[in-house]
Amino acid sequence: MTAYILNLLVLISVYAILSTTLNFIIGYAGIFSLAHAVFFGIGGYTAALVAMHVTPEFFVAVPVAMAAAAVTSLLLALPALRVRGEYFVAASLGLQVLAVTLFSEWKSFTGGIGGVIGIPAVELFGYPVYKPWQFLLMSLICLTIIIVIIRTLVHTSFGRSLKAIRDSESAALASGKNITVIKTLSVVLSSALAAVAGALYAFYMSFINVQSFMLDTSVLVMAMVIIGGTATVSGPLLGAALLMLLPSALTYLSFLPQTEIGSIQQIVYGMAMVLLMIFRPGGIVSSHPGGSK
Amino acid sequence: MLFLQLLANGLQVGAIYALTAAGFSLIFGSTKIFHFAHGATFAIAAYLFHFALAGLGLHWTFAVAVSATSAVVFGVLLDRFMYAPIQRHEGSFFTVFVASFGIGIVVQNLLGSVFGRGFMSVATPLSNSVEVMPGLYLSPLNGLAIVSAIICFVALHFFLTHTFVGKGLRALSENPELVRTFGLSPRRLSTYAFALGSLLVVPGAIFTAAGTGINPAVGHHVMLISLAATIVGGIGSLRGAACAGLLIGVAENLAMWKLGTQWSEAITFAILFFFIIFKPSGFFGRATVS
Amino acid sequence: MSEQLMTAQETEKPASGSGFTGSTDAQDVLLEIRNLSKNFGGLQAINDVSLNLRAGIITTLVGPNGAGKTTLFNMITGHIPPSEGDVRWQGESVIGKAPWKIARAGIARTFQDLRLFTHMTVEENVLTMMESGSWLWQPGGKSRKAKRLDKVSQILEKTGLTDKRHTRALDLAYAERKFLSLARIMATDSRLWLLDEPASGLDPNSYNLFLQLLREEVKEGITVCIIEHNLDIVVNISDRIAFLDQGKLLADGEPQTILNDPALAAIYFGER
Repeated sequence: MTAYILNLLVLISVYAILSTTLNFIIGYAGIFSLAHAVFFGIGGYTAALVAMHVTPEFFVAVPVAMAAAAVTSLLLALPALRVRGEYFVAASLGLQVLAVTLFSEWKSFTGGIGGVIGIPAVELFGYPVYKPWQFLLMSLICLTIIIVIIRTLVHTSFGRSLKAIRDSESAALASGKNITVIKTLSVVLSSALAAVAGALYAFYMSFINVQSFMLDTSVLVMAMVIIGGTATVSGPLLGAALLMLLPSALTYLSFLPQTEIGSIQQIVYGMAMVLLMIFRPGGIVSSHPGGSK
Repeated sequence: MLFLQLLANGLQVGAIYALTAAGFSLIFGSTKIFHFAHGATFAIAAYLFHFALAGLGLHWTFAVAVSATSAVVFGVLLDRFMYAPIQRHEGSFFTVFVASFGIGIVVQNLLGSVFGRGFMSVATPLSNSVEVMPGLYLSPLNGLAIVSAIICFVALHFFLTHTFVGKGLRALSENPELVRTFGLSPRRLSTYAFALGSLLVVPGAIFTAAGTGINPAVGHHVMLISLAATIVGGIGSLRGAACAGLLIGVAENLAMWKLGTQWSEAITFAILFFFIIFKPSGFFGRATVS
Repeated sequence: MSEQLMTAQETEKPASGSGFTGSTDAQDVLLEIRNLSKNFGGLQAINDVSLNLRAGIITTLVGPNGAGKTTLFNMITGHIPPSEGDVRWQGESVIGKAPWKIARAGIARTFQDLRLFTHMTVEENVLTMMESGSWLWQPGGKSRKAKRLDKVSQILEKTGLTDKRHTRALDLAYAERKFLSLARIMATDSRLWLLDEPASGLDPNSYNLFLQLLREEVKEGITVCIIEHNLDIVVNISDRIAFLDQGKLLADGEPQTILNDPALAAIYFGER
C-alpha cells in the first residue's frame, strides 16, 4: 500500500512539473501549446541516453535534456510565433504528431515502438537514488525549484511583459515590446523545464516508450492546467493531483465496468473542461471567476 | 501502377478532407469560433450512418438522412448551448478552443464505449473494387466521393454568392457591424454557419464509413488534417481549403509510395510547417500577421 | 476647393532623395507623412495623404467616421503597412519597421477601444511601459526599480489614479480606464502622442482634468496628434487641424480657418 501511494505521489509530482511549466505559457503568456508531451519526451529520451552511454549523474543528464528540449522548442517557436495564436495551436499539434512518428521510427534515439529499456538509476554526485521515497523527495525538490523560478519570473519585468502580451498584443507592440522574442523565450523556458519532468520520469520508470509522449499526454496536461486554474500557482498542482487520482478513484467505484475506466476518465475530464469554460473559465482555483483569459 | 493507384486513393481522401476543411473554414471564417469539435461531428455522422445501415438495416437513403440530421443537430446544439454561453461572458479564443476540445474528447470516448473501439466499415455494393487496368483497382465509391465533393462545392459557392443568408455569412467574416445594419442577427447567422458547416462533413463521413473504415479516433484524425488544410489554404478561404485538402490527400498517399504508412500524418504536418514558415497566409489567404 | 486647401498643398515639401536638408519651416517637423495610401481589398482607406506633425503643438485629425483617421495612426505606428508612400520620423523613414521599434523610437499611442492590460493592476500597467527590454531582468537593479516606481506614483497622481494603484484594469470605471490608457503612454517618455478619441464619453470633471493634463504635457514639450469629434477640443485646444474625408486630406491649417470654410463645415456638421 505504501509503495502504491509513493508511486502515485511521484507520478503526481512529475505531472505537476509538466502542468506548472505549461501553465507558464498558457496562463501568463497566452500561448496555447498542444506539444508539451514532446518536450516531456525529449527530456526523457535524452536523459535516458546520457545515463546509459555517458553518466547517470543527475547534474549532467538533466541539463543536457533541458538543452535538447530548448533547442527543439526553438524550432517550433521561431516560425509559429510570428503569426496569430490559432497558428501556434495548429503548429504545436503538428509538432506533436510529427514527434510521435519520429519517436516510434528513430530507433537509435528512442528504441522505436519498443522504447528504451534498462535505464540505470540516477546518481546525485555519485550516490545512486533508487528507493521510491528518495525519488519522491528528489522530484518534490525539483517541483519546488521550478515553482519558485516561475513565480519569480512572473513578478519581474519579463513576467509583466508576458501578461501584457496576453492581455493585448497590439497594445504591447505599441509600447515597444518585442513580442516575438519575449514569447519565444517563454516557450523555450517552459519546454526546457518540462524536460526536467521527462528526465525524472525516465529515471523513475527505468523504461520509457512513445506511449507516454503521445497527444493524449499533451491533452491530459492541458486539462490539468485548465481544470486546476490558469495563471495561478496552486491551480496546476491541484489539477495534476485531481487528474492523477481520478483513475484510482474510479477503480474504487465497483459498479463501473472496469474495461471502460479509461474512457470514463477521459469523458470526465472532457466534460469538466466544457463545463468550466461555460461557468468558470478561470478554473477551480480562480482569482476572478468568470473573467480569466 | 502503384503510383496511379495511390493517386486515385489520394484524390478520394483529398476530396473528403477538402469538404471537412471547408466546413471548418466556413464556421471559423464567419463566426471566429475555433470549432475543434468539427471532427466529433464527422465521427458522429460516420457512426450513425454505419449504425443505421448495418445495425438497423435501413435503406441507404434513410441512413444518409440519419447521418445528415445528426451532424446538423449536433453542430447547432453545440453552437446554442456551448459556444453561445461562452461568448456571452468572454469568448476568448482560448476558452472556446478548450471547450471545443473537451467535447471532442467526450464524443470520441462515448462512441468508443457504445460502438466499440475497433475498426469497422460497412460494405456496400459500391465499395467493391474492380481492376480497371492491370494493378489499378477502383471502386465506384472513389469516383462518387470526388463527384459529390465537386457538387457540394458548386452548391456551396452558389449558396454563398446568391442567397441572402449566404451573403450575410460572407459579410459576417468581414464586418459584424455591417451585418446588423443589414437586418440579420449575427447569432442567427452563427446557427446557419454551424448547420451548413456540419452538413459538409456528411459526404466525407459516409464515404469513410463505407470505404476505408472508421474508429472512434477518426474524427480527431480528420480534424487534424482539416485544420492543416484550413491553414495551408488560408484561413477563411473555401477555395483554399478545398485545394489544400486535395493536396494533402494526394501527398499523404504518395508518401506511402516512398516512405510507408506511418509517415502519412507526418507528411501532412511537414506541409503545414512549410506553409507556416514561408507563407503563413496560405494559398489564398489575406495577410495574417496580427 | 477652398483657398486654405490650396495653401496646404503648396507648402508641401517635394519628395526627394537623401540630400534633402529642409527649410527653416521643416526643422520643427517631427513627423512627416508623404503621399501615404492604403488599399483594403478594393477599398481605398487612405488616398495620397501628406501631412506634417510639428513639434510642440496639438494637431487634431477630424472627419466623419470611416474617413481613415485610425488607419492613418495604424500606419504611423507600423500596425498596418501602407500600400504606398512614406512616413518619416525625425527625418528617418519608419516604413517596414516593426511596431515595437517605432514605439521605442518615441511614438506612443492610445487606442479607441483602450486595449488595457485588463488582468494586470494599474501599477503593473504603467510599470510595464517603462520596461521594454526583452530580457529576463531589467538593468540597473534596485535603485532603478525604485526610480521607476517613483515615476509610477507621479503619473498616477497626475491622472488621479493613486487610489486605484492595486486595482485590476478590468475593475476600473470608464473614465478611470481612459486615464489609465493616458497614464500608460505618459510612462513611455515618447515625444509624440497619438491619441485616438481620448475625451469621448468623459464626464465634465474628468474632461477638465484631461485638458489640464494635456496642456501640461504639451508645455513640457510633448507633441500631440488627436483624433476627436468633440468640438471643444477641435476649436479651443488644437493648434492645427487636419481634415480627412473618405481617405483624402481635404485641408490642413488653423482651426478657425478650417471651421470657417463652409464646404468643410458642411461635411463636418452634416455627419454629426
